[in-house]
Parts: sequence; structure tokens; C-alpha cells
Amino acid sequence: MERKKLQKSDLSRWLDRIAQEHELIGPSEDDGVIRFQPVESSAEIAVEFANSLIPPKSLFFPAVESLFSFHKRGKDIELEATEPLDRDRVVFGIRNCDVQSLSLLDYVFGQDLEDVYYQERRARTALIALACPTPPRSSCFCTTFGIDPLSSDGSDVLLTDVGDVYLVDVVTEKGEGLVSLAEDLFPGLTDDEARQLQPRPVEMKKVDISQLREKVEALWEDEYWHKMSLPCLGCGICTYVCPTCHCFDIVDVGSTLEGERYRCWDSCMYSDFALMASGENPRPTKRERIRNRYFHKFSTFPSRYGSGYACVGCARCLIHCPGGMEITEVIKDILAKESISE
Amino acid sequence: MQDRLHDIVRKLLGEGTIEYFIGYGAGSEPHRVVPCFVTSDHEVERLVWGPLCLQNLSKYVLQAKDLEGKAGVLVKGCDTRAIVELLKQHQIEREEVVVIGVACQGQVDPRTLEEVLGVPMEQVQGVEDAGDQFVVTIGEDERTVAKEQVLLGKCLYCRHPSAFEYDFTLGEIVPFSIDAGESEFAMVEELERLSVEERRAFWQKQFARCIRCNACREVCYACYCKECIFDRKMPRWLDKPPLLSENEIYHLIRAVHLAGRCIDCRECERVCPMNLPLSRLYKKVQKDIAELFDYEAGIELDEVPPLVSFELDDQDPFM
Amino acid sequence: MSDNIYLPWIATITEVRPETADTSTFVVTFDDPQLRESFTYLPGQFAELSNFGVGECPIGIASSPTWAGSLEFCVRAVGTVTNAIHDLDVGDKLGVRGPLGNSWPIEEIEGKDLLFIGGGIGLPPLRSLIHYVLDNRERYGAVEIIYGARSPQDLVYKQELKQWEEQPDVDLYVTVDAGDGTWDGPVGFVPPFLREINPTPENKVAFTCGPPIMIKLVVEALEEMGYADANIVTTLEMKMKCGVGKCGRCNIGDRYVCRDGPVFSFDQLRRIPGALEA
Ligand SMILES: Cc1cc2nc3c(=O)[nH]c(=O)nc-3n(C[C@H](O)[C@H](O)[C@H](O)COP(=O)(O)OP(=O)(O)OC[C@H]3O[C@@H](n4cnc5c(N)ncnc54)[C@H](O)[C@@H]3O)c2cc1C
Ligand code: SF4
Ligand code: SF4
Ligand code: SF4
Ligand code: SF4
Ligand code: SF4
Ligand code: FES
Repeated sequence: MERKKLQKSDLSRWLDRIAQEHELIGPSEDDGVIRFQPVESSAEIAVEFANSLIPPKSLFFPAVESLFSFHKRGKDIELEATEPLDRDRVVFGIRNCDVQSLSLLDYVFGQDLEDVYYQERRARTALIALACPTPPRSSCFCTTFGIDPLSSDGSDVLLTDVGDVYLVDVVTEKGEGLVSLAEDLFPGLTDDEARQLQPRPVEMKKVDISQLREKVEALWEDEYWHKMSLPCLGCGICTYVCPTCHCFDIVDVGSTLEGERYRCWDSCMYSDFALMASGENPRPTKRERIRNRYFHKFSTFPSRYGSGYACVGCARCLIHCPGGMEITEVIKDILAKESISE
Repeated sequence: MQDRLHDIVRKLLGEGTIEYFIGYGAGSEPHRVVPCFVTSDHEVERLVWGPLCLQNLSKYVLQAKDLEGKAGVLVKGCDTRAIVELLKQHQIEREEVVVIGVACQGQVDPRTLEEVLGVPMEQVQGVEDAGDQFVVTIGEDERTVAKEQVLLGKCLYCRHPSAFEYDFTLGEIVPFSIDAGESEFAMVEELERLSVEERRAFWQKQFARCIRCNACREVCYACYCKECIFDRKMPRWLDKPPLLSENEIYHLIRAVHLAGRCIDCRECERVCPMNLPLSRLYKKVQKDIAELFDYEAGIELDEVPPLVSFELDDQDPFM
Repeated sequence: MSDNIYLPWIATITEVRPETADTSTFVVTFDDPQLRESFTYLPGQFAELSNFGVGECPIGIASSPTWAGSLEFCVRAVGTVTNAIHDLDVGDKLGVRGPLGNSWPIEEIEGKDLLFIGGGIGLPPLRSLIHYVLDNRERYGAVEIIYGARSPQDLVYKQELKQWEEQPDVDLYVTVDAGDGTWDGPVGFVPPFLREINPTPENKVAFTCGPPIMIKLVVEALEEMGYADANIVTTLEMKMKCGVGKCGRCNIGDRYVCRDGPVFSFDQLRRIPGALEA
């Protein structure tokens, strides 16, 4: 991996150069909400931000997307798969928690019957990560899940703010390609600079979660889930803002003559998520639904995929939950439980 | 006030009058106050009261019905309007719930406070009420801001039910009064002055941003239907994908369903993660109901809601 | 399965056979002649059927892979998509996405005696295996079928029941919850009927499918008769959308019923927290 630098004042020149070749996507503000969106130029991009409200998973697994369209001609039916992308994309400003969330989503969409829509978007998108401000937002707890907010793992290029310049870590070939679009903006570092220009270390509250899976699994029957679920309103915010949540619905829109089959986000927190035509519901109350969410994060996802926990500590759910459900508190509660209560 | 609250709740739980108390609790960070369900004596200490107690906890009273034992709830004067409506709409019986009213001197709108102070909420260590100001602690500093600058929009037009018999009160429950500077319907009138096309463009831009997380519905005291029309599969009124066409229907149907029932709590707008200006929509509905029927929801316990009453000699042949 | 896991294949309905008041068998053939040859599946697998414009729903493949050319689905009209499928007629098109899920353990059970216990619309998923076994008769032992429905009108595959009745290498027992003038067979629920018949567990695997309450009582009965959990196999029903283990809906514990199931043995289920709660 190669380390270079970029004057902060040159960032927009580089991004605008990229925008000439690719679709440029970055955090941009719309009515007080930051999300990753396609931009025409670097001017629309917010550089000073903690993190986006809607996680960048939406770029790979959009809130709503057409899978295919159907047209009836006489008795015949024609299907036409929807192309997920029309050109290659570059995402600027993604945080490392969100980069790590993509590697978790890769387990779901990228293997065992690949999802071609997600896979194509992944393959045709380069990630320019932006290391988190130090100190990061106070609610963040990514380090608890072993994520280093300054790491370049999983991105193509990483920019780290060290004052007047960004340190630029060129991680992959894709990244090299992007840097070479404006080679002259990226001088190498002198030995002195390499020593002096260091990111400030991140200090963050960190919880030992090595026992988390074991502990949560022991709590399946526990009364805890009942009491803790009471403030939950059963909205979908926690799952829609979560970068690792991947549940969706498939819905036809149109008539039986023509229309489209869409996929859209869905949430295990909704009462009808698992409700069957017979009226039976394996998760009939908030108790079972909330438990399902935390089990999915801390037990069933890691167990199914042999991965780490399916939470990257981005704190979005905690910040936006109208019921005041705080995942950090839930983790503490789980860890504090000695054994299954009678 | 907090101490007296603790005493009352302790007593209610101790006597077995209630099984649950629904109040406000401290969140994991000082600026966050969360709904707090207290079931035992040692949890009572967690209950707090202050200018960041934003939630209208009345919604939880509905679910308390399904739990064993009676519930107690802490309400601000404006929240009581939801209780009044739930009683009028026969969703709860008065004796099913112990209502503790708390005198409120206005609540802080975190989004506005961030803007006014130029500081993110997470750096706010505390907000204290100081008459016509709030004192905000940020790190070592204390900053004061005038209330009218940072209050929740509804607090500028604070309205309480005229006669409600609380089981307990903390302080004197009277509407908080402040000079708002403009009429409460100013935000609607501003839109009404636009052409139809402009208005349509305004709302389409907003509805297009909606992700249909349903939080506005779930938080609304009045959305208590066992099966919401939006969740019905046969017949299907609304498709799930958050496409503009569907979002429009979602918001317009909900607005119509709230006509004569919306109590202007603005919880829908407060919880919306996408920052949709929903109170403008609901303010419009309130304005129309006020103009057509001279009615305001949640104020008079014995006033019949206009859209559930009918007269045999009604001029309108619709029914 | 198509490379694009969400893209169904188009098939034409060649026959609709009403089974009961609300249930019909749909026989379908793929439009693509090549696919007709290459499409393979195992007994116990299912497919997502589409009526485009209405939606998709999972339906077990009720035919046997030993039959060439067409697939059969036995659909009960209960909701949006299933009703829309019932609106279709011979010559109309359907979307078929599959085959999905695992299958009955056709290899593990070679040489064993087989006991099938079905209730109502629970027979079609078993039927695929029953025919597979009968078409590969030499690889499997004795076949016993116990089947029940609410009323004589609710029995599906009446033709085949008659045929199995007469077939010397099949023992068929049929009951109904409540009889009528036309019915002179046994009356009563499946679980007590099973206890009455009392099939011995030796060298035998039991397959059961039906309403959850029936399955629960059948399993209790089988266990009391000495069947090991590993030798009791069922197929689960959970709400599904993607059918490919991605949409997160149909999990029990860390297993997705659509991908790791729908077929599970009871010893598998006992090891999954919550699987046997309902
Ligand atoms: C593996 C499997 C095999 C099945 N095999 C058969 C069969 O052979 N014959 C038969 O008649 N029925 C079968 N079912 C049940 C059948 O899938 C449901 O009755 C059907 O999905 C109801 O869809 P609907 O649109 O009519 O109902 P709605 O209530 O309108 O449901 C809307 C959607 O929710 C999902 N859904 C609702 N209920 C269920 C459910 N019980 N299971 C799965 N998804 C559901 C579907 O995607 C459905 O389209 C099977 C279910 C599973 C899981
Ligand atoms: S965001 Fe909060 S209230 Fe909404 S479903 Fe999630 S936990 Fe419940
Ligand atoms: S903190 Fe919440 S939103 Fe973020 S990854 Fe974890 S569960 Fe998802
Ligand atoms: S099951 Fe729930 S927690 Fe898990 S990915 Fe789906 S929505 Fe998220
Ligand atoms: S809370 Fe906001 S984003 Fe969610 S459904 Fe309502 S308007 Fe849409
Ligand atoms: S619509 Fe909004 S303002 Fe009106 S009662 Fe419901 S939550 Fe409150
Ligand atoms: S149906 Fe989508 S995961 Fe099983």
C-alpha cells in the first residue's frame, strides 16, 4: 500500500476530475438530512459531517429498486431484468464502520446464490473512505466491534485528515486508477512528513464483547425481552438506518398487464413481517421481534456466516430510535446477565 | 418536582395501584431522555423531568391495556390532549390509567438548538429551565438561550384540555404562554398563498424523500387501528415500495384519517428521521377543521368530534 | 435456477384439476423447450409462483422428479397471490422460480420403511416423495400412508388415494374429522388415528406435514411409540419472500427455512432455539 498526501484545498479538484469519468456519489445535505447521493460536482458534497443518516448500504441495496419489468402480450409474458447501473461509480466519504458493514452484507448477497444486482453495484463501485474525525461522534462505538475508524481495510483509497492535508492511502488497483486521474495532486511523503503526519489516535468507550454471543444465546427465554421491548413503537427506523440490516420485501407494482417487480427495504420490527396468510405469526409481539433483531445481530448472523457480529457500532439506531432503545445499553444488559433467570 | 414524582410513583407501585409507570428516564448520554417503563421500587430513581422530555407518552397507554395490571403515565398538558381524545374515541377508560400531570414550561427542540448554538446535541450535557431562558451546559461552559428561539414549535402555541381531572399533579398545570410572534397557522398560510403547482412541487419534493419507515404512524396516538389500511393486503390500498406515488397516498390518507383527531403534538414530525415538515400538513388539517366545524381536538372532553357525528337533516347527500 | 435469482421462468398451465372447494392442482410446462429437459429438482423442494402484477408465493412441488415434462402444484386459495393463481386457466402463464430449498432425505432413507402422515393440504409435499419412492420401488422398503382432512370434501388427490388403496405395496389409512352421508371410513383426528394404527418404529422413518397443531400431536404420538427424533421428518411453513436466504424473513434460529429447509428432522429442530415454540 502506498501513502501519499493531498492538500485539502485540492480535494475538490480531484473529485471534480473523478466526476468527469464516473458517477460521483458523496454525502450531501438535503433538508437537514445527510445521505449519500449522486452529485454533479464536489460543491454539493459535505466534508464536515459525522456520518450520514441513511447508511451507504443504500447505494448497493437501495431502499427501493426494480428487479424486472413484465409485459403481457396476448397470453405471452415478457420479462426484462432491470440494469442496476449504467456507469461505474465512485463513492467519496464513506466511514470505515460502513465499509465494514458492506463486508457483512457481502456474506448475504455475495455468496450462496449471488444477488446479481448487489454484486454488480459492488463490483462497479470504488470506495474513497474518509477516516472519522477525532474525536468521533460521542455515540459511536465501532471499536467495541473491533473496527478501527482510521483503517483502510475494505476501501480503495483512504483519506485521513491531518490538518492542512489528507494522508492518502492507496489500497487497491481501483484506488490507484482514481489517484492517477490527477497524479500531480498526490505527491509522496518525505521521511519527515511520514513521521510527523500521523492521525490523532481515536479514543472511544469500548466494551468487551467476547462473551456477547454466549450470553445473548442464554437469554432466549428470559423475561428481559418483554420489559425492554415496551418502549419500542414497532417502527422501522432502527433497521432502515442500520448499515447491516438487509431484510427486504418483494412487491409487484402495476397491473397484471404490465408493471414492475420491486424490492424494497422491510423490517423485522413490523408486526406483519412474518405474519402468514393463515394468521399465524411466529413473532407475534414486540418481545419476539426485538429479540429477533438482537439475536440476528449477535447470534444468528455470526453463526450462519462464521462472521463477526452484525453490528458495526455506527450508533444510528440508537440516535434515531423514537422509543429510546439504545443498543449500547442492551449490550451492557446482556453482558451483565449472570445466567438464565427462572 | 422530580422528587415528588418519585414519591408518588413509589407509593402507587408500593400499594399495588399500578404495575407499570411510564415516564421519562435518562438515556445513556446526558442530552438523551428516553421513555422509561418502571415496574419496581428500585427503578423509580431513573425517572427524570426537565426540558428534554419531548415524547408524548400517551401512546404507550394503549399498549398498557394489553399488559397485566394498571399503568400510570406522566403527561405534559399538551400530551393530555391525547388522553382526552383516547377517552372520546373509546380507546381507553378513565379508570384504566393513573394520570400524573406535570407543569411544563416549554420543551427544547434539539434540531433548533443545534442550529442556534452551532453545537451538536451530543456535546450538550444538560439543559435547565431558567424562566424565559434555557441554560445549556456544553463541556465546561454554560450558555443561555432565549426560550422562544429553541422551543418545540407546538410550545409556542401551548394548549391544554380545559377540564381534565388528573389523579396527581406536579405543579400547576396551565398552558405555558409565550409570544410566538405570528399566528399558529402562518406556516400553512404561507403554503396556501402558493399556486397549486408550487404547492404540489413543495409536497412532492418532501414526499419523495420519505423512506416510509412508518415512524410517523407508529408514534401517533391516533394510529391505533388493529389493522391499518396501509397494511391490508386484500384489498390492497397502498404498495409497500416507497415510490413517490405511494408515499403521496400514504401521507394524504393519513392526514385525512387524522382530520378532527390530530392534537398538534407534532410527534410525527419530531421522530421523522428524514425531517419531513409533517406538522405543516397536519396544521393544514387542523386549520380546515377549525374553519369548517369550529372544532379543536383534545380540548373539550364532552365536545363531539365533527367527523364522527351526523345529523339526520344534513344537507350533504353523500351518505 | 436462473442466474438472476429473482427472475422467474415462464410456464404455461396445461391442466387445472380442482381438488377441494378452495384447492386445485395446476399442471404447468415451461415455455422454453430446453428448460423442460434441463429443469431438475428433488422431492420436497418448492418454487415461488408468480402471477405477475399480483406477486409471488412459495408452493411445494407436488409432482415427482421421475415424471418428465411438467410440474404440478397444489394450491389452496387463501390470500392475494394464491387467489390470483386460482383465477388462471389452462393456457395462462405463470412465473416459476426454483427449485428452492432442500429436499426430503431421499438417499439417507434408502432401504428403510417409510411412514407418511399428512393432514389436509399437507399431503401434496409428501406426495412428491411418495411417488418418487413408488417409482424407485426397489430402493425403499414398505410404504404406509396415513391421511386425514376435515371432511371427505377436503381430501385432496381423491383419484390417487383410490389407486394407493388398491396398490398391494402401499398401506393407506384415511380418516376425516367429521364424516357425511358419503363417507363410510374412519372418523377422527389424525393423531389418535395414528395411535390406533400404531405403526412400529423399527427401521422406519416418519414424514409428516399438515397444520401445526396436528404436527405437534403427531410428533408426540410418534415419540411415545418409540420413534427417534432423527427419524421424524417434517417440512416447515414460514412466511417467505425471496426464497433464497436473503430477505431475512423466514428464519428459525440461524436457519432460513427457505434455504436450509423447508425439510428438517425433529432432532435438528430441537437444537434450534425457538423452532418448536409455536
Ligand atoms: C415451503 C412452502 C411450501 C408451501 N407449499 C404450499 C403448497 O404446496 N400449497 C399451498 O396451497 N400452499 C403452500 N404454502 C403456503 C403458501 O405459500 C401460502 O399460503 C401463500 O404464500 C399465501 O400467499 P397469498 O399471497 O395468497 O396470501 P397473503 O396473505 O396475501 O400473503 C402475501 C404474501 O406473503 C407471503 N406469505 C403469506 N403467507 C405465507 C405462508 N404461509 N408461507 C409462505 N409465505 C407466505 C407470500 O409471499 C404471499 O404472497 C407453502 C409455504 C411454504 C413456506
Ligand atoms: S427504531 Fe426504536 S421504536 Fe422503532 S422499531 Fe426500532 S427499537 Fe422500536
Ligand atoms: S449501531 Fe445500530 S444501526 Fe449501527 S450497525 Fe449496530 S445495530 Fe446497526
Ligand atoms: S432480521 Fe431484523 S435485525 Fe436482522 S437484518 Fe433483518 S431487519 Fe435487520
Ligand atoms: S417518519 Fe418520516 S420517513 Fe418515516 S414514514 Fe413518516 S414521513 Fe416517512
Ligand atoms: S398526526 Fe402528528 S401531530 Fe397529529 S396527533 Fe398524530 S403525531 Fe400528533
Ligand atoms: S424467504 Fe427470504 S430469507 Fe427465506
